[in-house]
Amino acid sequence: MDFMLNITFYAFIFGVIAYVIREVSRSVATRYIALGVMSGALILNTTLVLMRWFEAGHAPMSDKFESFVFFAWSIALVYIIMELVTIFIVRIHSSRLGIIGALQCALSALFLYFAINTDSTIKELPPALQSNWLVTHVINYFISYAALSISFSAAIIYLIYRAIFHGKTQEVVMSKDNSNLGKDMTFDKLAYISVSIGFPFLTIGLITGSIWAKGAWGTYWGWDPKEIWSLINWLIYLTYLHLPLILPKTKISKSFRPVLLSIILLVAFPTVIFTFMGLHKLPTAGTSDHIYAD
Amino acid sequence: MSKEIIIKEEKGKVESRVWQFLCSVKLAVIIILVLAVACILGTVIVQQLTPEEYVARYGEGLTKFFIATQLTDIFHSYWFALLLLFLCVNLGSCTVKRWRNTVLQIGFILTHVSIILIMIGCFIDLQLGEKGGVNVYEGRSVDYYLTRGDYQKVPLDFEIHLDDFIIEKHPPKYRLIAYVKDKDSQTPLTVKVGKTYNIKDSNYSVTVKDFYPDAEYSQKPINISSDPVNPAIYVQMFGSEEITAEGWLFAKGLNWYNDPDHNMRVEYFWVDNDRDFEKLTTIVEKGSPPKLGLELEDRGIKLDIPIEVGTVFEVEGTEYKVEIKEFALDYMNRTKPLQEQEMSNPAVMVDITGPQGVDSRWSFSKYPDYWDQAHQTKYKDIRVTCNVPDDFTLTSNKIRIIQNQDKEKVIAYIEGGELKKIVNWEVGKRSEVGGSGYQLRIAKFFPSYSVENEVIKKSDTVNNPALRIEIAGPRGTVDDWILGQTPAKWYPDNNFALLYEKFGMEIKDFKSKLRVVDNGKTVLSKTIEVNDPLKYDGYVFYQSSYDPEGGLYSGLQVAKNPGIIVVYTGFIILCVGVVFIFYVKPFLRRKSKKKER
Ligand code: HEM
Repeated sequence: MDFMLNITFYAFIFGVIAYVIREVSRSVATRYIALGVMSGALILNTTLVLMRWFEAGHAPMSDKFESFVFFAWSIALVYIIMELVTIFIVRIHSSRLGIIGALQCALSALFLYFAINTDSTIKELPPALQSNWLVTHVINYFISYAALSISFSAAIIYLIYRAIFHGKTQEVVMSKDNSNLGKDMTFDKLAYISVSIGFPFLTIGLITGSIWAKGAWGTYWGWDPKEIWSLINWLIYLTYLHLPLILPKTKISKSFRPVLLSIILLVAFPTVIFTFMGLHKLPTAGTSDHIYAD
Repeated sequence: MSKEIIIKEEKGKVESRVWQFLCSVKLAVIIILVLAVACILGTVIVQQLTPEEYVARYGEGLTKFFIATQLTDIFHSYWFALLLLFLCVNLGSCTVKRWRNTVLQIGFILTHVSIILIMIGCFIDLQLGEKGGVNVYEGRSVDYYLTRGDYQKVPLDFEIHLDDFIIEKHPPKYRLIAYVKDKDSQTPLTVKVGKTYNIKDSNYSVTVKDFYPDAEYSQKPINISSDPVNPAIYVQMFGSEEITAEGWLFAKGLNWYNDPDHNMRVEYFWVDNDRDFEKLTTIVEKGSPPKLGLELEDRGIKLDIPIEVGTVFEVEGTEYKVEIKEFALDYMNRTKPLQEQEMSNPAVMVDITGPQGVDSRWSFSKYPDYWDQAHQTKYKDIRVTCNVPDDFTLTSNKIRIIQNQDKEKVIAYIEGGELKKIVNWEVGKRSEVGGSGYQLRIAKFFPSYSVENEVIKKSDTVNNPALRIEIAGPRGTVDDWILGQTPAKWYPDNNFALLYEKFGMEIKDFKSKLRVVDNGKTVLSKTIEVNDPLKYDGYVFYQSSYDPEGGLYSGLQVAKNPGIIVVYTGFIILCVGVVFIFYVKPFLRRKSKKKER
């Protein structure tokens, strides 16, 4: 298990390198090589998840170690699905995903690194966690988080490119230039698409969590810190989704609007991660049913 | 006239401006953001404390501010409720305003309506719902519950019987943890027999050599040297064929065994000089009898009188008369015949008669001053002692097992105080002992007896597991057993330790076998557990806790949520709505775009 975990970790590191090479060379061959490397890492990660499932005898998402491995898996899975869709179905902007693959590989590797440094002993499930709603709830959340992580990566890349090609952007976007630079400038749109992919899952995750809480504790909403922070995340992305409707009516200049939206995403995803693993730092953590001692 | 028209027009304008603002996404975004901030505050400021606790935490000034702004209970505050109301109004009016009967609008309408529905459902529950809990003891019933928060008793129209309460437990689980002190690092190790783990960032390694699922310590006698440091023999006594008694005798410790049934005493001697050997094998000293000591220090009187019950004598030069009333070898068992008493606490009782009447005293040989200190004695000037020699025995028949440094080994049989026979013995061989009818076998001889804590396997089901561990480190290799739930095992340099500890959930599940009795009739039975409640008459009974001490009662959560149908309808519509907006609508759009082309 430890060995597999390390191998998978390095596979993702290898994926980072492959995607960087792809970004530099921009040849079709390197594109498929990078996709291949990441798919390999995903297969290894899938094996990890399945092995753990088999060993533990319950869906492998109940403790920190299991959620780290599962999160790494979801990040890779959602990205690969997205890349396959852009290659074979949507067929626009062959390089639209660009360097994102490298960032997603790095994120998966990061969570596997956390997993390597986490106690991996199999624990028994407390009665409250023995529910099918838990599985639905967690899977929805992780798929959503994975999609939202893409929006985070895309926002970073967008802001970096904006900073580098500061002066040119306006003309480039305006001229509908089909050069690479022109395509790179669409990362804000990629971010929006990722949020719109992730948001339904986020909503369903919130709802299934509520239904599960009702079955286990008798209350579908108890203003528990974990519940509140899930709501905060949802509200932030809701704001992000509604903002484009009002921005044209404000004095904010057209070229600054995507920057503002990207900044929101830059804040939003760390909030998600905080909800996922940082809540025990809150002064109210002691009152929560969800936050187990770190 | 014209003025009026202008005013009306302005009114209309104002109204439409308010309406527009109510419909606007701008308001939506503002409300959403304010809600988010309120939520953050609600988790950063500890909620629902007493004013004193707030002062202690945040100081006077902030506390006043918090209380004035209801920041101490945000989610039940008026302004938060108002915020939610605005949200609903905003959603409602924008939905009404933008309502178009087109397919593409479906998602927008569904999501927005669903959120209003959820809010309405929650409001109904808040107004008409009930929430509380009750503990039921096994075999008993309740017809009420206590409200959450203020513990008011609320009657139910029916009874809930708890027929059975079941706590299921997991088999115990253990884990092995390696601790490096100077790094303060803990590493859990998986237990796999034969595996060696190198502990990260240190030069220790741990090998698991053996595993017993259920083990215990047992003390095993061992010989640690061939020097006669603590000579001991294991003696077996045979009646005709069967062993009647067996055990260890220690030359330097408990060296005798009394067999009162046969009036026999077995003794063991290890001597390192010929004179003692000679004495033991030839001379039978009678053994001194127990003596009563009387001392009157003031008058310089000191007497030693052999203890024999019934002896009466007058102490010369005084007006005291002393009678020996009782004698015991084991005070606790003094009612038993003397032969059957072990010599564990010898004591004598005397009556001292003097000018002030009779003074009865016990005197203990091992605790000579006990009686005088614990009781009021009449005659303080007279001191009574009980002296029983260590080799005192009532038995007149003895078997002496003797050996010396020259490896001579003999058994001397003494009958009625006379030496009857001497035979040689050898380890493992049976020897006939004179005419006693006894056979003796000295099964083992350890020149240097010691005990070793040995770990033995008790059963094959995991209960109290043990691991044999080899630790290699800077001071060499250590090989030892560690048992679950025993203190950590430290490596000799005191920098590395292994702990084998219990972990994880012990409770697997708890279930209550409930029966609903309405008007004297059982109307419903169900075994509930966490995630599987019982529903009756609009109430839902959830398994929520158990008696942590004895598992005697079951904690039930009671809830009545009349608005739940509305909430769940909202949930479903919201799910359908978001999926429609983000997964269905883009494809519909794409299709229609293609058509246009
Ligand atoms: C799951 C939640 C929500 C989703 C998916 C969602 C989605 C949308 C969408 C897609 C539109 C644009 C409609 C169009 O294309 O014409 C819209 C508009 C709007 N939404 Fe939401 N919304 C949600 C929740 C909310 C909430 C909580 C509010 C809170 C007040 C809100 C307020 C508004 C308003 C005021 C508009 C007006 C749009 C306009 O006037 O053009 N929405 N929403």
